[in-house]
Amino acid sequence: MRNLLNFLIKYSTWFVFTFYVLISCILLVRSSQNHHFLYLSSANAAGELVYGTVSEISEYFNLLSVNRRLQESNAKLQNEVLNLRNELAQYKVLLQDTAASAWNIDRFGYIGASVINNSTRHPRNYFTIDRGSADGVRPGMGVIDQSGIIGIVDITGRHTSRAISVLNQSQRFSAKIKDTPYIGSLAWHGGDPTVAYLEEVPRHARYHLGDTVVSSGFSTTFPEGIDIGTIIGRVKTHDDTFYVLKIRLASNFKALGSVRIIKDQLKHELDSIQSFE
Amino acid sequence: MDKKVISFAFMFVVLALLQALLMNHIVLFNSAVCFIFIYFLIKLPVGISTNLLLTLGFLLGLSVDALSDTQGLGALCCTILTALKRPVFYAYMQHDDHTRNIEPGVATMGWLNYAKYMLTMSAIYSLLATVVEYISYTGFLDIIIRAAASTIFTFLIIFAVDSMFGKNH
Repeated sequence: MRNLLNFLIKYSTWFVFTFYVLISCILLVRSSQNHHFLYLSSANAAGELVYGTVSEISEYFNLLSVNRRLQESNAKLQNEVLNLRNELAQYKVLLQDTAASAWNIDRFGYIGASVINNSTRHPRNYFTIDRGSADGVRPGMGVIDQSGIIGIVDITGRHTSRAISVLNQSQRFSAKIKDTPYIGSLAWHGGDPTVAYLEEVPRHARYHLGDTVVSSGFSTTFPEGIDIGTIIGRVKTHDDTFYVLKIRLASNFKALGSVRIIKDQLKHELDSIQSFE
Repeated sequence: MDKKVISFAFMFVVLALLQALLMNHIVLFNSAVCFIFIYFLIKLPVGISTNLLLTLGFLLGLSVDALSDTQGLGALCCTILTALKRPVFYAYMQHDDHTRNIEPGVATMGWLNYAKYMLTMSAIYSLLATVVEYISYTGFLDIIIRAAASTIFTFLIIFAVDSMFGKNH
């Protein structure tokens, strides 16, 4: 017994070292999309305190430009409301039947939030937003900003959440070329935070440079038709059956500000139906 | 001694925050990152127990991880770096009574030895961090370039911080 104890004490350094290395490796290898690791993400209480305070201070300095952008978008929205009102009035004259309005379910809701921490330098990037489970945010919800899709929530704290950025090499997004049926898979290959790739586009797909790529609507994460970026070229591949298209991302990932989290009211229903298969 | 413990605790918090809030967002030429928080591990006295040294390294890495969403990466690299701290230190210094419990610095090691020690520590950390993070995503050459760029950036910033705040006399 004493020998064992002596042995343990003599080599304690090695045990401590091995123990820490093992823990680190487990953390590193285990997929981070896991609730047990909430305390090891930026969505924890300490992160909330640190990033919340800092973003409050820095937001104060951005107020002027934010205000200008808000005014611009307000004007645009007012314009749109007017146009839609006119359009609606025309349809109301044409369509007396009320049956059509039964389809008009408000499927998607939005939760406004601010990005309080963000990275673009890693192969797997994440950003933190200042809304959490107390505000109704759940893992798996999509996040968009005024220009397009930016990520998916993966860990929620009480008042903060961490989201997987589009700039994350382990995450793919279902996308399609706008106004066509051609679906692909959006992937980021690292490096340039303004460029991503639309992979597995069928070879017979027709497209032009400058065409818009939008969300496919095949998941409950994003509604169909939200901007992702524009096609700027094609990448040569060895695969004869699929194209890989180069995409200029619509959102500026270096300057993420106010964002919206998408809440699908039918998510529960759709997920339970799909799980039957 | 107590005063020293407090100043090191203060340094721990300040450097972790500095890394998360400032240095993580400064990336030169799309590849060079400054790992300023390893200054804490560089400055820890060589005389403290190895177990305490490893624990502090692991905790610092873990704190930086939690703030920058790099789960396990910092913890692993910091643990290995602290394990290598003494061998690196004694690679440039004599193994004798005088050096047994000193705090690495210009005053205790001399200008050239201290610079070499800091550069080696920066290089080890940058190489480890880059290899661990990028190994499954990019090629060998890219990893070497990134590691070298980060080493230089880290070394320069740490050197500057040290000449401003390190106790040189």
